[in-house]
Amino acid sequence: MVAPPKKLLIGPLSAAGPGTLYQQIVDGLKREVSEGRLPPGAPLPSFRNLAADLLVSVITVKRAYEELEREGIIYRRQGLGTFVADAADARSREVKKAHARELIQHAVREASEAGLAHREITDLLHEIIIAEGDAVHGHKRR
Amino acid sequence: MDTSAVEIRGLTKRFPKFTLGPIDMTVPAGAIYGFVGPNGAGKTTTLDLIFGLGGTDGGTIRVLGLDHVRDEVAMKRAAGYVSPDLNYQAWTRIDRAIGFVRGFYPTWDDNYCQTLLSAFHLNWRDAIATLSFGAKTKLSLLLAMSWRPKVLVLDEPTIGLDAISKQQIFGELLGMVRDGERSVLMSSHNLTDLERITDHVGMIKSGRMIFEGATSDVVERFRMVDVEATHAAALAEQAGITVQETEGLRGRVLVDQRQVSVDHLRARGVTVLSDGPVTLEELFVALGRA
Repeated sequence: MVAPPKKLLIGPLSAAGPGTLYQQIVDGLKREVSEGRLPPGAPLPSFRNLAADLLVSVITVKRAYEELEREGIIYRRQGLGTFVADAADARSREVKKAHARELIQHAVREASEAGLAHREITDLLHEIIIAEGDAVHGHKRR
Repeated sequence: MDTSAVEIRGLTKRFPKFTLGPIDMTVPAGAIYGFVGPNGAGKTTTLDLIFGLGGTDGGTIRVLGLDHVRDEVAMKRAAGYVSPDLNYQAWTRIDRAIGFVRGFYPTWDDNYCQTLLSAFHLNWRDAIATLSFGAKTKLSLLLAMSWRPKVLVLDEPTIGLDAISKQQIFGELLGMVRDGERSVLMSSHNLTDLERITDHVGMIKSGRMIFEGATSDVVERFRMVDVEATHAAALAEQAGITVQETEGLRGRVLVDQRQVSVDHLRARGVTVLSDGPVTLEELFVALGRA
């Protein structure tokens, strides 16, 4: 059996990446979960170990774990460690959906402020969906 | 019981042209603490005082609950100090320097020393005089880390190191605090790196601590805000506001949200043009130059 990756558990954390490092850890772990590479019940490294592997402070990983725990994507068992929750996949999608909704809301507000009509906004959205088509398709789960 | 790694209370030291303190500082157990401040702010003086290099004029210093003077021997068995002034040239070769330091510490860990030697690309038989500046720094770190101190104090450990060596050292420090019992207190000007790897951060300026806390809390506490007000310069009077620039009615101010909220400024008739987060480095510049 191949040991699970440590330093390469999630994509690279970079100051040049989107969001704070802690957000990048949250997003990275969610991606691993939603794409099935971290199945329900899979153990996660302790936050001190993950911090050393990712070269970030313990507090950053701790914060990311706390957020994932709040969202029901992972759970902690005293003395045993941290694991991917059952149905983490579905929860992860719920959270992503809520976030996407927020972003679209924001985009619509911006577009309205720029004086775009409803029709123009939906056309724009449509255009983007088609342009993103391949990327979206590529991200379909399994 | 959760004894702090380092606890400084009311520390004061007077020099003819400079007074340090009174300062308080708390390094929690298991943390990596970044100690920052402009040149000449008193960082090295503070670190030296912890290890009894110079007497204090007031206050207390405890390391793992031990008084730094009364319990000096016990404290020095638990805490190591690496300063840029260390020079192991007299031992001529790495193996001799190791043999010398090793003799002082019953807790010396040969396996860990070996691991660090290869991680730092140092060779047992290298002549110390031929080592690069960075390699000498790594040797000092290796000699302090190999006896596995509970508290490691580092004064500018990455000064003059390339990005690869810096990353190696930070990796080893994070590895060192993995067990949650060991702690690191380090001064550094590598603010971007510190923001990434430290759990706690404290900044001193002209001998006084101006902020201290969990790195993420400290950074999120402050906002850089552009304002328009009929009296932009007068905002300087407000506690929690550090004026960065003013141009006519425009002003750029750093807001400490623990003391005043951005909404409070709006309520006082200030137009907020933009309101954004800051990095540790930006915070350092904003508070350091004022």
